[in-house]
Amino acid sequence: MADEAIIMKKICKDFKVLNRHEGLKGSIRDLFSRDYRIISAVKDVDLEVKRGEIIGYLGPNGAGKSTTIKMMTGVLEPTSGEILVNGFVPYKDRTRNCENIGVVFGQRSQLWWSLPLIESFKLLRDIYMVPKKEYEDMLELYASLVDIEPVLHKPVRQMSLGQRTLSDILAAFLHNPKIVFLDEPTIGLDVSMKSKIRDLISGLNREKNTTVILTTHDMGDVDALCRRIVIIDKGLKIYDNDIDHLKSYFGSYRTLKMKLGDDSWEEMLIDEKTTDIMDVITKAQKEHRIKDIRLEEISTEEVIKKIYEGESA
Amino acid sequence: MNPRKLIALTRAGIMESLQFRLGTFCTLIGNLLYIVLVYFLWKAIYASSGSDTVNGMTFSDTMIYLVLATALFNFLEMFIVWDMSRSIQSGKIILDLLKPMNYRRYTFWSYSGSHVVLFVLTFIPTFIVVMIITHGAIPLGFNLLWFIVSTILALVINFSIEMLVATVCLYTESTWGINIVKETIVLLLSGASIPLAFFPEKLRRIVSYLPFRAVYDIPLSLLLKKNTSCEIALIGLQAIWVVVLTAAGIIFWNISVRKITVNGG
Repeated sequence: MADEAIIMKKICKDFKVLNRHEGLKGSIRDLFSRDYRIISAVKDVDLEVKRGEIIGYLGPNGAGKSTTIKMMTGVLEPTSGEILVNGFVPYKDRTRNCENIGVVFGQRSQLWWSLPLIESFKLLRDIYMVPKKEYEDMLELYASLVDIEPVLHKPVRQMSLGQRTLSDILAAFLHNPKIVFLDEPTIGLDVSMKSKIRDLISGLNREKNTTVILTTHDMGDVDALCRRIVIIDKGLKIYDNDIDHLKSYFGSYRTLKMKLGDDSWEEMLIDEKTTDIMDVITKAQKEHRIKDIRLEEISTEEVIKKIYEGESA
Repeated sequence: MNPRKLIALTRAGIMESLQFRLGTFCTLIGNLLYIVLVYFLWKAIYASSGSDTVNGMTFSDTMIYLVLATALFNFLEMFIVWDMSRSIQSGKIILDLLKPMNYRRYTFWSYSGSHVVLFVLTFIPTFIVVMIITHGAIPLGFNLLWFIVSTILALVINFSIEMLVATVCLYTESTWGINIVKETIVLLLSGASIPLAFFPEKLRRIVSYLPFRAVYDIPLSLLLKKNTSCEIALIGLQAIWVVVLTAAGIIFWNISVRKITVNGG
């Protein structure tokens, strides 16, 4: 077995989109229009992922993250370039590729909606032809990592979002795939559930040496899980390095938000190395009435902005 | 193909459809109302014709045929077109494409469980009720065996028609109109709403060359022993349609699924 879980060379993906026209007249014209334009969603992306790595795959909305993941899973065919996942060309060997990967798409569930979770597990066990022993070992491992009992016999439709996400992640790991793709798994979850899910992912990665490709907008996820970060923006890979390196960009940055007397939010990015946050607040308080204060981690968008600024500087 | 995957899907389908008991009861009540309507409609038709047999069928022949056709319809009815268009719009289809199984096979076996449930909950009770009311007008013998074989083939043919229409969804995104057209054509030309014996001669000849009659008319003819040609010929005709429609469906799907894999669904 090769050391690389995923190899991508000069991968491009173009979409053909119909140019829509405005108004009723335009809509009628669109019915017969052959006026297409090409949108490049992913441009010349090279990527190599080693076995057992957890990679944070970041980028703003519409950057091409999901498109890349869909190419790795085989539901999208790249326009050009070479791609190998576990030694298979995913779009040619989709069914075989699927046996070795697991997928969680944040907002969608692959579980059987009206059945208790355990039934979905049994079904997935049979669909993926997991031997009985391995299945039982996996359930044991799950039980050691999270409190699985309360959800196991609950119909999926009655679950909270957090429980469902947790269940979906467990379902994706059930057949012990070599690679698991997690597309924004912590979206919409509260803090304690987020940390539970992070612990689960890192636990499964440690125990099973599963490669994990994680896309997220939450720098907390990245901090807790990933040692290597890949950032994509407008279809181009703009960063690929370990997280410590990235921290030199954003590690000491916080976003300070202040609600002023007229109910407007003032926002500023502060480098704690050079500026003292308390100073900023005190200074602002002298000029305005401050109703509320928030201190937030830097967002991916701002990290990307920083990287651009850093490169141009 | 390993049966373990298929049995697991059927099993889950059975469990899932049993969750919706109320829906099943509503189907039964709806059927009853429909049958009452059919009863009065055909009573009027027979009364106005002035004779006991119309097109070689007596009133009770027609009623037995239509009642069983309704029961068969409830059991064969599939919602693949609706479900697929919904999963295309929501993007959920990607999760189904990511199962380690051929999509067509996966879909068929996912639905199989609900057919088993509906067969037991709608067809068998209707069959028994018809037997009691008519004091055993349906012959019990080898025809039951032919009927079962023929119904399974009808199920596959109906599935293939559904899949062909559902595949069109990949292009149109909106399916309401197409689905209504499909349903009307199937119900009319298959003999589910009006026995084929009542069709004008020319139309009946055309219909006999189409796959639709293989869905309702052939299984019912075999069950009621009203078949004009021999059993093997009718089953053979169904088998030919199974092969033709399956092949066409697979080819059309493989070409069309590229719409998702190339242009991102």
